[in-house]
Amino acid sequence: MNVELTDLTRRFGRTRAVAGVSLAAGPGVFGLLGPNGAGKTSLLRMMATVLPPTSGGMRLLGRDPGAYGPRREIRRRLGYLPQNLGYYPGFTVAEFVEYFALLKDMPAGQVPRAVATAVERVGLGDRARAKLRTLSGGMLRRVGIAQAIVNEPELLLLDEPTAGLDPEQRLQFRALLRDMGQRATVIVSTHLVEDVGAACTEVALMDQGNIVFYGTPAELIGRGEGTGAAGDAPLERGYSAVLAAARSAVAARA
Amino acid sequence: MTATAAAPAKPRTPRAASTVPLTAARLLWVELRHNAVPFILPLIAALMWFDSYRPSVTQPPVWALRTFWNMGQGHTIIDFGPFVAGVAAWMGSREGRRGMTDLITAAARPRWVAQLATWGATAIWAVGAYLVFVGVMFGVYIGQGVQGSPPWWWVAVGAVAVAAFSAAGFAVGAFFPSRFAAPLAAIGSLLVLMMSSQTGFRDKGGWALILPTNSNGNYQAPSGIFYPYLPDLPIARMMLLAGIALAAVGLLGLPDRAGGLGLRRAAAVVTLAGVVMAATAVGLTTTARLGPGGIVIPALHDAANDRQIPATPVCGHTAGTPVCLNPAYRQYLGDVTAALQPVLAEVAGLPGAPARAIQVAGPYNSSEGAFDAPMAISGHPPVLRIPLDTVNLPGTSGFTARPVRFIDFADQLRVLAVHAFVGAGAGPGTTAQQVVQAALMQGAGMPFAAQPQLLGIAGLAPPPPGGPAAGTGREVGPASKTVYAAARRLAALPAAARHTWLAAHLAALRAGHLTLAQLP
Amino acid sequence: MTAAGVHQARPGAAPVPPGRPGRAGLRLIGLFLVSRRVPAALGVLAGLGAVLWAALYWRWNIAGGPAAQEVIPLVIETGAAGVIAVSTYGPFGEPEAATGGRLVWLRLASALMLTAAAIGALAAGATGGYLPGGTLALVRDVGGMAGLGLLSAAVLGGAFGWTGPMAYWLITESALAAGWTTPWIWPGRPPHDTGAAICAGLVFAAGLAVFTLRGARTSARE
Repeated sequence: MNVELTDLTRRFGRTRAVAGVSLAAGPGVFGLLGPNGAGKTSLLRMMATVLPPTSGGMRLLGRDPGAYGPRREIRRRLGYLPQNLGYYPGFTVAEFVEYFALLKDMPAGQVPRAVATAVERVGLGDRARAKLRTLSGGMLRRVGIAQAIVNEPELLLLDEPTAGLDPEQRLQFRALLRDMGQRATVIVSTHLVEDVGAACTEVALMDQGNIVFYGTPAELIGRGEGTGAAGDAPLERGYSAVLAAARSAVAARA
Repeated sequence: MTATAAAPAKPRTPRAASTVPLTAARLLWVELRHNAVPFILPLIAALMWFDSYRPSVTQPPVWALRTFWNMGQGHTIIDFGPFVAGVAAWMGSREGRRGMTDLITAAARPRWVAQLATWGATAIWAVGAYLVFVGVMFGVYIGQGVQGSPPWWWVAVGAVAVAAFSAAGFAVGAFFPSRFAAPLAAIGSLLVLMMSSQTGFRDKGGWALILPTNSNGNYQAPSGIFYPYLPDLPIARMMLLAGIALAAVGLLGLPDRAGGLGLRRAAAVVTLAGVVMAATAVGLTTTARLGPGGIVIPALHDAANDRQIPATPVCGHTAGTPVCLNPAYRQYLGDVTAALQPVLAEVAGLPGAPARAIQVAGPYNSSEGAFDAPMAISGHPPVLRIPLDTVNLPGTSGFTARPVRFIDFADQLRVLAVHAFVGAGAGPGTTAQQVVQAALMQGAGMPFAAQPQLLGIAGLAPPPPGGPAAGTGREVGPASKTVYAAARRLAALPAAARHTWLAAHLAALRAGHLTLAQLP
Repeated sequence: MTAAGVHQARPGAAPVPPGRPGRAGLRLIGLFLVSRRVPAALGVLAGLGAVLWAALYWRWNIAGGPAAQEVIPLVIETGAAGVIAVSTYGPFGEPEAATGGRLVWLRLASALMLTAAAIGALAAGATGGYLPGGTLALVRDVGGMAGLGLLSAAVLGGAFGWTGPMAYWLITESALAAGWTTPWIWPGRPPHDTGAAICAGLVFAAGLAVFTLRGARTSARE
C-alpha cells in the first residue's frame, strides 16, 4: 500500500476539517469527491506532507512522514498539484517545471529530458519557452500538472486538476491518469464527478471531514439507483444519495 | 496530454554528492535569470553618477582625496544599500506573495535551500553590479590621471556591505511577505546608514568606528601616497557586515518549514556564528587607536603596514631653494614653487631659512577633515616640511562652486611658511612672533589688510578681544591693532636694516623670549 | 440549473430594502481601499509617525548644519511616500480595468486620503521635538514626495513605486551638501519659499493626475 491513513484528524482552531479518516490505497487512480468544505484539500495537504495532522497515523510509500529523513524520501517520490497554483509570471513553462524538478532532488543530468517529457505529456511542448504570464488558465493548470509529474512520482496528489481544461484536454488528462495509475498511486480531488467515473478505480466521498463512502464508481452508482436523488448522471445521483444519507444520519444523531 | 505507450524509465534519486553542486548551480542559474535586481540597476547607475562620481571630480587627482566622498564616506554604500535591501525584500517575499509556499515545502529539497538560491542570485547581481560600477568609476579616474593607489580595502567593504543589505532585506521580505516589505526594508536601511553617519560625526573613536558610513579614520590624504591604506578597520567592518549577512541568512533556516531538524540546527549555528562574528568585530574596534598611517586595531594589525611607501620625489627650484614633492603631486610642483618664491626670497640668508623644502605627509587625525597642520622647519640644515595634502589645492573646489584659485592656494602656503619660519608652532604665537610674521607676510606680498582673514583661514588667527580661543581673525581688536602697528614699523625699515635686525633676534624670537618692547 | 424563479423572492422571505446609493458608495470606497491594503498602510504610516517622534525626541539628527539636521526627518518622509506608492495597485488586473469610470475617482480619493494621512501621521510625530521647517515644510515635502511616488508607480509599477522617492532623497542629500538652492530641491528651501512650494505642488499634481487617470502600471513582476 502506498497510502495508509489511520484515524487521521486535522483541526483548525475549533473546526475539524478532517475527522478521523482511515483509508488505504495502492497503485491506481483514487478519486476524492465531496462538496466545498468537506476536507478534501486539507486531507490532500496532509498527504503532501505540507500540513501536519493533529492526530492519527499516516504512512506514505511505506514511510512515516513524521520524521524528516523519511519525509524527504517521500517528497522525492511525490507529485503535488494544489488547488490554487502559485507561479512566477516571468518563468517560462520549461523553467517552471525545471525549477521543481531540481527542488525534487532529481539528478541534474536527468532533468532536461524529464522536463521535456513532462511538458510534452501535458501537451505544452510547443509552448515550452512561453512565459507563464502569457498562458491561459487551462494552460497554467497543465503546467501545474507537468511539475507534479516531472519526477515520475510514486504518489501523485492532484487537487482540482481539470479546472480550466476544455473537454478534449480533460479526456487526454484522464488517459494520463490511467497511465500513471499503472505504476503509482494517484489521488484526484475533484468536483467533476465524470472525471472520477472515467479514470478512477476507487472513489471516496467526503463530507464534513468524514469519509461517507468508499468503493468503486459502480458501487457509488448503485447507491443512487432508485432513490430519486438529484443528478443528471448516474454517478451524480449516487453522489447526491450518499450525501443525503450521510446528512440524515448526522441529523438523526443530533 | 498523452499517455505515452512507452513511459520513460523511472529516474532514480541517488544522493551522490557529485550531483549536489550541479543541481545547486542549475537552481542558481534559474534564479539569476529571473532576479529583480537588474531592473533597478539603471536607476542606481544614474544615482551613483550623481552622488558618488560627480562630487568626486572636484577633488584633487589623488586617489585618497578623490575617493574620500564616495568610498571613504560610504556614499557608494548609500547609493546601493537601501535599493538592494528593498529589492531583496521583494525577492524574499516572492514565495509568500505568489502562494508558492506549499509547493516549495512539498518538494524534497529543504525550503531553506530554495531561499538560499534566490538570495544568492540577488546577492550575486547586487555585488557584481557594485564591483562593475566602482570599476568603471575607477577606470575613469585612471584615465584622468589620478595619482597614488586605489583604496581597494574600502571597495571590499562596500561589496560586503551590499551583500549584507541584500541578506537583511531578503530576510525581512521572507518573514513579512507583504507589499510594504520592500519600501520598509529600503527606508530602514537608509535610516541605519544615516544614523551610522550621525554617530560618526559625534563619536570619533571607540566602537562607533565600525559603522559603515562613519568616515572618521577611514583614510586620509596621506593614504596610498605616503602610507598604505591600513586594512585593520576595513577588516573589522567586513567582519561586522559579513556577520550580519550570515545571521540574516541563518534566520531563514530556523522556522519549521525550512527543513529538517538537522538543517535547522545548522541554520541556528550559522545565525550564531554571524552574531559572534559581528560582536567580535565590534569588540576589536573598541581597542582601536590612532597610528601614524591610520586606525590601528592591534589584533588585526600588521606592522609592515606602518612603513612609508618608498617614492622618488620630483623637485624644482625657487629662490635658490630646492622644492621636492611626492611624485603623486607632481602636477602641483610649479604652483608650489611659485607660491613659496616670495617667502623664500624674503627670508633668504637669515638664520633658520630653509635650505630645502620637501612635502611630508599631513598628520593623521581621527576627525574627518581635521587638517590644522602647520608647516615646520627643522633639521640641520633647516628643511621646510610641507604637509601639502592639508591645504586646498589649486583647481579643485570640493563642494563649492568656485574652484580654488592659484592666489588662494599660494596665500595659504605663504602664511604657513612664514608662520613656521617665526617658530610660532600650532597656535597664533607670541605677540612678537605675530609682529614679525605680519611684517614678513607684507614683504611676501600679503598686505596687512588681508592678513587677518588669511590667518583665520589657516586657523592661525589670534583670539578676538574677550572672545573664544579660535576666531576668524576678521575682526581687528585692540591687541591686533598693536601688532599691526608694530609690524608696520618693522616693515617700514629699509630691507638691509630689517634683515640685520632679524638675523640678530630670530633665535630669541623663535624661543619666545622676545617682547613687543624689544621690536623696532 | 435553470433560470426559473430567479427574480422571485422565496415565499416568506423578508422584503429586500431598496439600496441606498450613499451607503453603496461608501461600501465601494471601503472595498477599494481594502483591495489596496490601505488599512495596513495607515498602520505603517502611524508607525513612521512614531519613528519621527522618537527621532526628534531623542535627537537622532545628524550633527552638522541646518541642512544636515533635515536628513533623518526627510528619510522618514521618504518612507511615507514609499508606503503611498506601494498602496496604489490592486490584485484584480483586467477585470477591474474593464469596469466603468468610478475607478478614476476611487484612485483620486485613495491617493488624497493616503497623502493626508501621511502628513497627519508625521505632523503628529513632529510633536516629539524640533522639526526643521515646521509643519509647513512637512506638508510641502511629503506632498512633493508623494507625487513622485505616484509618478513612479504609474511608470514602474506599484510594487517598485518606492524607488522614485528614494532616488529623490539621494539627489536631495547630494544637492544639499553641494549647496544647491534650486526650488526643485524643495527640502532645501525655507518653509515659506514660494518657488519650492510651487515645484512640490506641481510634482504632486502631476503624480496625482497621472495616477488617477492611468493607475499603477501592471507589471509582471507583481
